[in-house]
Amino acid sequence: MSLSFYAFFGLVGILLLLFVWAARKSGKQERTARALEECGRGHVGHLPQIRQALAETDRLYISRKAPAFVARRVRQERRRVALVYLAAVRDDFQSLLRTARIIARLSPEVVPLHEFERVRLTVVFAWHYQMVRLQLRAGLIPILGLDGLSDLVSGLSVRMEIAMNELGERAALAAEMASSLDGRGPHVA
Amino acid sequence: MAKIVTLENGLWALAVLLMAGLFALLLYRANHRVYPYLSGYVLIALLQSPLLFTTYRVWGFDSRTASNIAWGIQGLVITARALAVAEICRRVLAKYRGIWALAWRMLLAIAGLVLVYAWAVSRLNWPQAVLNADRGLELAIAVAIVILFLFVKYYEIIVEPTVLYLSIGLFLFSCFSVLNNTILENWLHSYATLWNLLGTLAFIASLLLWIWAVREEQPETPLEPELIPKGAYHALVPEINYRLKALNEQLSQFWRVEANRS
Repeated sequence: MSLSFYAFFGLVGILLLLFVWAARKSGKQERTARALEECGRGHVGHLPQIRQALAETDRLYISRKAPAFVARRVRQERRRVALVYLAAVRDDFQSLLRTARIIARLSPEVVPLHEFERVRLTVVFAWHYQMVRLQLRAGLIPILGLDGLSDLVSGLSVRMEIAMNELGERAALAAEMASSLDGRGPHVA
Repeated sequence: MAKIVTLENGLWALAVLLMAGLFALLLYRANHRVYPYLSGYVLIALLQSPLLFTTYRVWGFDSRTASNIAWGIQGLVITARALAVAEICRRVLAKYRGIWALAWRMLLAIAGLVLVYAWAVSRLNWPQAVLNADRGLELAIAVAIVILFLFVKYYEIIVEPTVLYLSIGLFLFSCFSVLNNTILENWLHSYATLWNLLGTLAFIASLLLWIWAVREEQPETPLEPELIPKGAYHALVPEINYRLKALNEQLSQFWRVEANRS
């Protein structure tokens, strides 16, 4: 059997997987309007409470005053909270991404460079996010470093909120119009 | 072998019947106005059978002329299918002007690259050149459909069920043709009969999907979304990208520092 035999079979296999993944239904479209509404007031709004819960001074105080099993339990809880918070930051990242996609979708003109850049950033973020999450799970990372991430997301969110309100209304209207395309209900890929 | 030939003839007749039914349905539901290239493709595919039959009857199975005519018709059929795919891409994306401008260029460029790739990894001897060209085109069609749906997924675009079923039919048939041609390239003589049989079966499955897709009348032009002013994109998207990049850098730095520390 030649190289082409394996090359074509492999290629068709990849295409099939990609097609199934891309064409399967998801609830994203229903979430579009909500995502726009929520943009600007994401999970990062809870940062002060998270900071308080994760404060290093609290941890030292507990390890001095409480029994070992309580300190261990607190450490586990803190890690759990950090993981949940990291996931929330990812949600905020994705919400921003979705906003950018909606703007691109409804824009009469897009810049290919910006679009490709965003795809690249998404892949890089997914990779780093998984790495940080794995290290957090393994207990290798102190949770303080998460602050910087949240500041970045919240900074943008606040500045964009006003602009998004107007665009959100337009996008929601467009989504409604598109949903009414077919009386049998839309397929959402 | 005789049983296979009988079965193949039966399936061939069924495929012709289904094609005629599909074409009639396209006309009856006035969907030929919505999908003119798809209708053209079905018509050409429908005419392919009597044309082949006449060709082989006049020149015989083993004649060079008959072979040239048969592959020529096949080329025409694939080109018509490629146009039908382009029509589907246009129907899904053209209403989003910015994305469409990006998508059609990408689709054309990648389809071209796939064609070149298909030629590059094929055996470059002349008797199989037509087979390779056929496979390259089929692969380009399949890749174009996948890219269309990646765009749909990424930009969260709503796809009409009709378009979805038509695309599945076109995609599966193209994939099957690529695999079938690849096997044929390796075992040309011993596989020929089975090649025809499996090809007809895949085509029948696609026809059933297309009939299901166009069973109802489709709106001639899909509703256009209300586009935002051009300036909004240029004002907001670079800003979002900048922030996403900064967020990434922060995460990357954080990961590196902590990895070094540990």
